[in-house]
Amino acid sequence: MPGELSRAAAIVGAAEANEIGYPEDPKTAIQLHVEAIKNVSDQTGIPISRINGVFGAGWSSQIAEHLGLHPAYIDTTAVGGCSFEMHVHHALAAIHAGIIDVALVTHGENGWSSRATKGRGTGRSRGGDPWDPGSLYSSPYGVSGAPSNYSHAMTRHNYRFGSTPEDFAHIAVVTRQWATLNPRAVMHSKETHPFGGPITIEDVQNARMISWPLTLLHCCLVTDYGGAVLVTSPEIANSVKTKPVWIAGAGENMSHSNMLEMEDFTATSAAASSAAAYKMAGMGPEDMEMAMIYDSFTVTAGITAEMLGLAPRGEGFTLWKDGRAAPGGKFPINTNGGGLSFNHSGMYGMQLLVEAYRQLSGTAEDAGYSGLPGKQTSARSCVVNGTGGSLSTTGTLVLVAD
Amino acid sequence: MPYTKPIPEPDPLGKPFWDGAKAGKLMLPRCTNCNRVHWYPRLICPHCHAREIEWIEASGEGQIHTFAVQHRAFGGWADETPFVTAYIDLKEGDRMFTVLRGVDATKPETIKIGAPVKVEFEPANDDVSIAFWRVAEE
Repeated sequence: MPGELSRAAAIVGAAEANEIGYPEDPKTAIQLHVEAIKNVSDQTGIPISRINGVFGAGWSSQIAEHLGLHPAYIDTTAVGGCSFEMHVHHALAAIHAGIIDVALVTHGENGWSSRATKGRGTGRSRGGDPWDPGSLYSSPYGVSGAPSNYSHAMTRHNYRFGSTPEDFAHIAVVTRQWATLNPRAVMHSKETHPFGGPITIEDVQNARMISWPLTLLHCCLVTDYGGAVLVTSPEIANSVKTKPVWIAGAGENMSHSNMLEMEDFTATSAAASSAAAYKMAGMGPEDMEMAMIYDSFTVTAGITAEMLGLAPRGEGFTLWKDGRAAPGGKFPINTNGGGLSFNHSGMYGMQLLVEAYRQLSGTAEDAGYSGLPGKQTSARSCVVNGTGGSLSTTGTLVLVAD
Repeated sequence: MPYTKPIPEPDPLGKPFWDGAKAGKLMLPRCTNCNRVHWYPRLICPHCHAREIEWIEASGEGQIHTFAVQHRAFGGWADETPFVTAYIDLKEGDRMFTVLRGVDATKPETIKIGAPVKVEFEPANDDVSIAFWRVAEE
């Protein structure tokens, strides 16, 4: 008997770049991608604008951005030459699940031309290609890493909504309060870090300036972390000894790859990714009892809270400022102490997942392997939102307790 | 004085921009199908997906969209902190990133979003000139 995914999707067109083999004039990888994409669009009559899933073995977000797309499914599985067969497999699942209905699987590789371009234009590593637009049109201007980019978003938020850096400083102060309840947090106390323990608005605002208006305490930590989660079928979930936390909804999206293409500096694609997740869950922000929000910077968390529908536009920071997000508040946010005060290893999305599971499974105070408990809340539902790049990409989950 | 900051390696796609920069002109890509300007240069119009793109000489005028003051930087820029980075809304449409000139980085409250700016170019070497934007005199 065929499986549930059998014939759930089909390949409807296939095309190549205009010139393959040994082009006389050297080509870049993105050039080969774009030619093939335009050709398959022409071949099938499906406009490029109709594509809602982008699958590539690297550089998926850059390709989507080059095309001006905001896909609801982004896959960069890159495990060698078989990646594209896997992309088809993943696209089948995504289509079957109703997340997307037009998937683009694309490839461009200038194995020959890269000899003439001296290894440039290969698109092989993010940010490492001197012909990547970010390198060409941003790197001459002295920006170095995330803080120097994210600060531009806070300036624009302050301008547009009349908010202030002090408003966002409340996010750092409240998140630190959570960290003081979590002995695993780097900034738990003076015992865990010389600058650990409670902080004030003045501490945040008087800290060393990194990229105005962001001081050091508006920025996340840089630490080590390891984490893993297991996702299983309902049958297995119902038969194991641990408590399941159900994935009620999931969604993803992107507004840009390079900040040059960030249309609105006060908004992220979390509006779209959370809309998809809430729709899948049949729930809304009003049904959420807590949130785990990626807080690479205070401004990331504040803006994201608005995108998730947890606060009106321009007022995300009020969740922290009026104490709702704080320990004992009505709507706990970042109960582990956040990327700001718990742990941030570079990519913090796993930390969000682990804490959301601990909270919703009622195991937040289990000391576990480390022997260090956290702080349990009573929440039964949680919206989890990860943000990647320069406020570029977002993934939202709606998780509910058993 | 030698140019100590990062110097980009122009690609064939952006050649008209870099050639223009060397000659002191701001060149921008424009789609001949939908007539919209886009930045950075594309192989395909990100708005309408036509592949017929021309280059126009732009006015070199714009406005500050948003900005930040960098207090920490590396390489040649480390010697210049604090300095102001900004996204510029181009008169012709879309946006560029730059280091802003004609502003006091120690007084960010005096820098205004929406303020008019003009482009200028600084030669980094014999082939490459870098675009900078300066707050226009009142």
